[in-house]
Amino acid sequence: MTRAAQVKLAEETQMRAAEARGQELSEALSRMEDRYRGLLEAAPDGMVVVNQGGEIILVNAQAERQFGYHRDELIGRQVKAIIPEGFAERLVADGLRSAVDALAQQIGTGIELVALRKDGTEFPIEMMLSPLDSADGVLVTAAIRDISTRRRAEEHLVQMESRYRGLLEAAPDGMVVVNQGGEIILVNAQAERQFGYHRDELIGRQVKAIIPEGFAERLVADGLRSTLEAVTQQIGTGIELVGLRKDDSEFPIEIMLSPLDSPEGVLVTAAVRDISTRKTAEADLLTHLADLKRSNEELDQFASIASHDLQEPLRMVASYTQLLASRYQGKLDADADEFIAFAVDGANRMQRLIQDLLAYSRVGTKGRVLAAISSEATLQQAVNNLDKVIEESGATVTNDPLPAVLADDTQLVQLFQNLVGNAVKYRSSEPPRIHISATRDGPRWMFAVKDNGIGIEAEYFEKIFGMFQRLHGRDEFAGTGIGLAICKKIVERHGGEITVDSQPGHGSTFRFPLTATDAHPAATRGVMP
Amino acid sequence: MNVLLIEDSPGDVRLTQEAFRAADVSIQLHVVTDGVEAMAFLHQEADHADAPRPDFILLDLNLPKMDGREVLARIKADAALKTIPTVILTTSEAEDDIVSSYQLQANCYLSKPVQLPDFMDLVRSVNNFWLTMAKLPTHHRDQ
Repeated sequence: MTRAAQVKLAEETQMRAAEARGQELSEALSRMEDRYRGLLEAAPDGMVVVNQGGEIILVNAQAERQFGYHRDELIGRQVKAIIPEGFAERLVADGLRSAVDALAQQIGTGIELVALRKDGTEFPIEMMLSPLDSADGVLVTAAIRDISTRRRAEEHLVQMESRYRGLLEAAPDGMVVVNQGGEIILVNAQAERQFGYHRDELIGRQVKAIIPEGFAERLVADGLRSTLEAVTQQIGTGIELVGLRKDDSEFPIEIMLSPLDSPEGVLVTAAVRDISTRKTAEADLLTHLADLKRSNEELDQFASIASHDLQEPLRMVASYTQLLASRYQGKLDADADEFIAFAVDGANRMQRLIQDLLAYSRVGTKGRVLAAISSEATLQQAVNNLDKVIEESGATVTNDPLPAVLADDTQLVQLFQNLVGNAVKYRSSEPPRIHISATRDGPRWMFAVKDNGIGIEAEYFEKIFGMFQRLHGRDEFAGTGIGLAICKKIVERHGGEITVDSQPGHGSTFRFPLTATDAHPAATRGVMP
Repeated sequence: MNVLLIEDSPGDVRLTQEAFRAADVSIQLHVVTDGVEAMAFLHQEADHADAPRPDFILLDLNLPKMDGREVLARIKADAALKTIPTVILTTSEAEDDIVSSYQLQANCYLSKPVQLPDFMDLVRSVNNFWLTMAKLPTHHRDQ
């Protein structure tokens, strides 16, 4: 063999060996690639492998779908074609760091970028990078996730939250949102003002710091009910509690709870209202009511005691002037007779006045519980009491069948007696005819006492029910002007109002309502304030 | 007939005297003006050693020193006195006074009428019923 032939053989042998090695290598590579591709295609995300020059060297099916390209169209293209910004720049090593270092910094952190489809539309992506050492230098694998849906949800959430916050801030009440642990997670400006805190001081704190009692306890579910149920039971009912300001001062509050389902479990929104003003007003009202009641009671007591104590000396004056009159009438001179007559008359009038005042004050102080009674029997008793005056005046008292009513027996006798007595007293030239009737009006009976007496001018309809109000001279009709005031007080005590309808010369009709016994007491109370 | 009137108001004493005088002249009306004196009269003590045992007592409720309720309770707790009809004659019309008087065994409760003729009628009625029609036990001091 020539030297040349020897060299050639050697070269050929080497080449063949090299070829064989190359064959082996490429087969190994191909096997590797298959395995790698299998992994690539199985990935849920789009996968794009890029070299240092920003060239796409591998994509998977997901990436093809995401970007709307066939892989042949993508291989060899610059990655900028599908991710215009933020990717290629990250591949570049600068003076201070190697490409691997640069990439290593991005690993594990999702980078949000904008991707561009073949049809020119954009979509938001999140990208995760990982370096891959290879013979051609460091390759970069990018896992790309389409985050359009998530983005939309996030935007919606932000929008919702700002809308919710708007609502929260617009609410007239302080709003405090609390989680299951009793921790404050949201407050509005009103709540800040009410409690004297800045919201940063409140968020994360226990709600007990501002509402020490009665709130946190309500958040707790027990064996029998869930938190949602526990809170639901409180909904719509104002719970009156005490609020504690930052400066440790307390103020009365009313809270309304509503549950709010959230990913962190049931949250509770509490609308907090400062009810100091209302409480003060309520307390004032109660004080005034108590004052009024006491003053009324004192007045009644005064009237009762005064008239009783006045009666004693007056009885002496009246008795002795009467004794004087009966024993010495006509035995002294004419002047003495006249003087005695005036004294007797004055004492008698004063006695009637005191008796009527006593009767008036007793309507308030001696009133009994209203009970079911027969108004017809009561009228009969009143008529019996008036026997003498009815007979003397030749009056006729008639009545329709009268119903059972809820009334104070004694007071109803007095009411009928005063009205029938007045009808007899204020009679015209004709013999008095008085008729009593009752008509049903809802839960009540409207009574009417009608006469054929002298009647009353319309302008006096109100006035006649006032104390000491008289329309006639003493020489015409005797009286104290208390009788109808007593009637008014009795009717008012029975929850009604007495009215009169009359025309001078054509008689009068007095009307007043009484509760029917068959009107269900609860239902009747229900419609009254 | 001996009637004991226990009454502090001179005006009422005189009126009652006038009324009894008009009703029946045979009545012996004895008057004491407070509760302590009333008990002295009934027990024939002090100034009242010679007092007769009354056949009938008219008692006002409001009296100085010892009030009428106490006097009534003592009369009705005393075996020798409790058979004497004791009638309350007072200005009070209070239900409480009426009930407590009967609980203390008052024989009757009367309130003083405001009008003189009514008062006269009342005393006449008392005289007719208690001192004329009613049979009263006859008593002797030494029983």
